[in-house]
Amino acid sequence: MSSSAAEGFGERRLHPVGMLLAALGTIRRWIGAAAFPGVAALINGQFGMRTLLLVLLIAVMISVFSAVWGVLSWRATTYRVSGGAFHLKRGVLQKSERSLPVGRIQSVNTVQGIVQRLFRVVEVRVEAAGGGEEPEISLPALSRNDARILREELTRTRRASGEVGEVLQEEPSPTVLRRLSVRNLLVAGMTSGQIGIAASVVVGVSQTVDQLLLRDLVERFSEALLPRTVSAILLLVLAFVLFAWMLAILGTVLAHAGFTLSRSSDGKYLHIKRGLFSRYETTVPLARIQAIKVVEGVLRQPFGLAAVRVESAGFAEERGVSTILFPLLPRKEAEEFVRTAAPSFGVSLEDLKPLPPRVRRRYALRAALPVLLATTPAIIFFFPWSLSILLLALPAALYGLLRHQAAGYSLDGDRLVLRFRRLARTTVVAPRGRLQSRGYSVSPFQRRLGLATLEVKVASGSGGAAFRLTDLEVVSAVDMVERLGPEIIAVEV
Amino acid sequence: MKAEPEKRLDPRAKLLWRLTGALQAVPILLGGALGSYVLFSKAPLYLAVLPVLGALALAVLLVFVLPPLLWWRWRYEIRPLEVDLQRGLLRVTRTLVPMARVQHVDTRRGPLQRRLGLSTVVFYTAAGPNEIPQLAKDTAAEVRNRIAELTRTADEL
Repeated sequence: MSSSAAEGFGERRLHPVGMLLAALGTIRRWIGAAAFPGVAALINGQFGMRTLLLVLLIAVMISVFSAVWGVLSWRATTYRVSGGAFHLKRGVLQKSERSLPVGRIQSVNTVQGIVQRLFRVVEVRVEAAGGGEEPEISLPALSRNDARILREELTRTRRASGEVGEVLQEEPSPTVLRRLSVRNLLVAGMTSGQIGIAASVVVGVSQTVDQLLLRDLVERFSEALLPRTVSAILLLVLAFVLFAWMLAILGTVLAHAGFTLSRSSDGKYLHIKRGLFSRYETTVPLARIQAIKVVEGVLRQPFGLAAVRVESAGFAEERGVSTILFPLLPRKEAEEFVRTAAPSFGVSLEDLKPLPPRVRRRYALRAALPVLLATTPAIIFFFPWSLSILLLALPAALYGLLRHQAAGYSLDGDRLVLRFRRLARTTVVAPRGRLQSRGYSVSPFQRRLGLATLEVKVASGSGGAAFRLTDLEVVSAVDMVERLGPEIIAVEV
Repeated sequence: MKAEPEKRLDPRAKLLWRLTGALQAVPILLGGALGSYVLFSKAPLYLAVLPVLGALALAVLLVFVLPPLLWWRWRYEIRPLEVDLQRGLLRVTRTLVPMARVQHVDTRRGPLQRRLGLSTVVFYTAAGPNEIPQLAKDTAAEVRNRIAELTRTADEL
């Protein structure tokens, strides 16, 4: 019995596709590091022939280096099963060997990325029980046959060494819930409205420009371009807006390319995978989700689109997240999507109780007030024809009315649904039992009119998130606070 | 609906807030005096006294008017299933925190509080801290222990 346990098989290499994967991995890393300096160098050299050739040469060198490293890496990687353990040897310069006793192996899974699918190989992941430093060993490329042989050998070894002889099952693969198509990725980028990136890029570029001592060039540049006429200014503004837009699209593509939401086979975890060059993976335990938000951005709402975000709480060492559950989908599908992804949050997102109509005026006034206050000095100085500045208050008041219209709330079974508009119209679903606190507040004006502001707090990331609905009837607010309480028996973990 | 919470803070809270109000009033009065001094030469008298008068009004508010109002408004109650807090000067806010969500509870005392024998009870949820300020030292300890006990029972449910 012990002799057969020691058998196993001798050293084996990965499938040659492993070379390609290793090379690709190296290239990915280098692109991330070299992109910005490369672009900066191009600009510095004013896109001259010499600089272009230099950058190209460096790019070629990186590719060649990655290919060579890929081959070396492949040659240095071997695995074997012997002496009752799984061994993996790795490393070109720093050689390392990992040994995993067969008894500690929890499961052997196969995964396929794009490259693996293309070449019909699989990635094998051997998961070890008990976590530790590296809870899993990965063999990036094995032929299906080799993978099968490995699994069988590991199972046989376990049986032979007297372990509980379950066949090392393949963990059933997670169910893909929704994938972001390329078209929707671009739409998401076009409608994301993230101008902030553009601003920080402009700042960054201007700093780099300074550092690269381009001041002279820039001065001549701006001398020639300096807008003298109104149309030139408008053109410049338009150019900036276009630039910001391009950057927003680029940013979204980099961060959300290939966005895939899947659920683990045991139904307890949601997995998010996204990213063009660096792949980000986030796991959200369903039991730790505190609130789900459907966000209809200003640029998305007119097209009936929305994004879904999730707030989750941490536990012990896991950190909570506040992150995107899905970047873009039609608003009509949001309800169904939430129901599928997190069934306990499945609730009707329509049929919300609106705010009382008499409150409309307050919303309009509240929005117009800052504009009026800000323009008062100007009005006083330029009286009387400056009264036209008051017209500026009109769009502000309109915004206030839009906020009133967007507001709504409901309590469906155990789920609180709140809808409000800050800039984007946001609908929040939070189960009553997960609320960290609830309450209402009454200002002197509200007291006079019998109104109140409802506020609830949920846990989010490593802190909290508060959601408020202003100007409900005070009886409705008090009633909601009552019904949101833990009185009614609900055993919440 | 549950009645509004009943328990009040320790009356010495008023004294403490008057003292902190006085401390805050000092820089305000100085600023007002400086403002008036600067304007004295440049503007007519009725304008020049404005900063000082304003500062004085603010100081009076901070020391004489606000503390008792604040104390009057502050209410709390510890119930088996939740903590009920009500407070605020202009905007009165009522917050209910479910006992099951309270993670832990502490008492805290600043130097001024120590002199007056007061304590603040702070209890934490995942979304952040909530506090009941200016309770008598012993009352604070009782409240803290009660919350700790109720949190434990709530978790066992």
